[in-house]
Amino acid sequence: MAVPEEATDETLASRAGLGDNHAFDEITIRYQARVYRLACRLVGHDDAPDVVQEGFLSVYRHLASYRQESRFGTWLYRIVTNAALMHRRARSRRPVESLEAYLPRFDATGRHCHTPVELQVAAHADELLDRRALAEEATAALDRLPDLYRSAFVLRDLEELTTAEVADVLGVEPATVRQRVHRARLMLRGYLGALAGVRS
Amino acid sequence: MTDVSCKTGVELLMDYLEEVVPDDMRALLESHVAGCPKCAAFIASYLATPRILRDATAAAMPPEVQRSLLVFLRAQRGDGPRQKA
Repeated sequence: MAVPEEATDETLASRAGLGDNHAFDEITIRYQARVYRLACRLVGHDDAPDVVQEGFLSVYRHLASYRQESRFGTWLYRIVTNAALMHRRARSRRPVESLEAYLPRFDATGRHCHTPVELQVAAHADELLDRRALAEEATAALDRLPDLYRSAFVLRDLEELTTAEVADVLGVEPATVRQRVHRARLMLRGYLGALAGVRS
Repeated sequence: MTDVSCKTGVELLMDYLEEVVPDDMRALLESHVAGCPKCAAFIASYLATPRILRDATAAAMPPEVQRSLLVFLRAQRGDGPRQKA
C-alpha cells in the first residue's frame, strides 16, 4: 500500500494562504516546538508563550505575502525573530551587566594571558555545574547579550541555521552574521569559564 | 609575515572555521595553533560553547502551551471562541 506523501511546508503555506485552516493548523503543529524553543532562547521562558502566539498570528496574517523566495522555515523564523525583538523592546527591562568583561584577554604582545588549563575550562562547564543551575545561567547569559548578537547566535549556533540562512532571516550580510556570532561566542565562552571557576 | 599572534588568531577564528580566510592566512593560523597550546585550549572551549548552551537551553513546549496556542489561533481566525490578541 502506498504511503501518502507528507505535504511540504511550502505546499501547506500555499493552501493556508488560500484559506485552508487545516493546512495552517498542520503548519502550527509542525513548527510549534521549534518556535517555542526559539522564543525561549530569545525572550526567556516567561515571555515565550506570548511571542509564540504573536509569531504564529503574524505568520497567518502575512501568508499572502509569502512568495516562496526563501524556504518557508526561514521565512517563519524571520517573523518569529522580529516578534521576539519587538516584544523585548516593548518591555522595560532592568539594566543588566554587559558580558564584555568576559571577552578573552591578551598581553602586550598579543598572547593569551591564561594557562592552557584555564583557557580550556569553559569546555567542561557542563560537567562541572549542576544541570539545572547551568540551564538557568545559560538563559540569563543569553538575556545579557545585546539584541543583535543574541539573535545571530541563537539562530546560528542554537537553532543551527547556516550562516547564509541567518543572513536571510536577519536581512544582513553573511560577514555581519559571522562577526556577531563570533562576538557572542567569545563572551559566552568567557562566561561559561567564569561559571566553572576561571575568568579567562 | 611568519607568525600571527594569539589575538589575531582569535579575531579570525570564526572566519577560519567558515573557510573565508585566504589560503596564506589559513596556513599561518594553522602553523600558529600547532605550536601554541594556549590557542589549542582556547579553541577547544570556543567550539564547546555553542553545544553547551544549545543543550542547556533546549526547552520543551509544555502541553498546555500547545493547547492554548491552537485555541488562540482558531479564535483569531474566527473558527473558534474569540480571544484578545
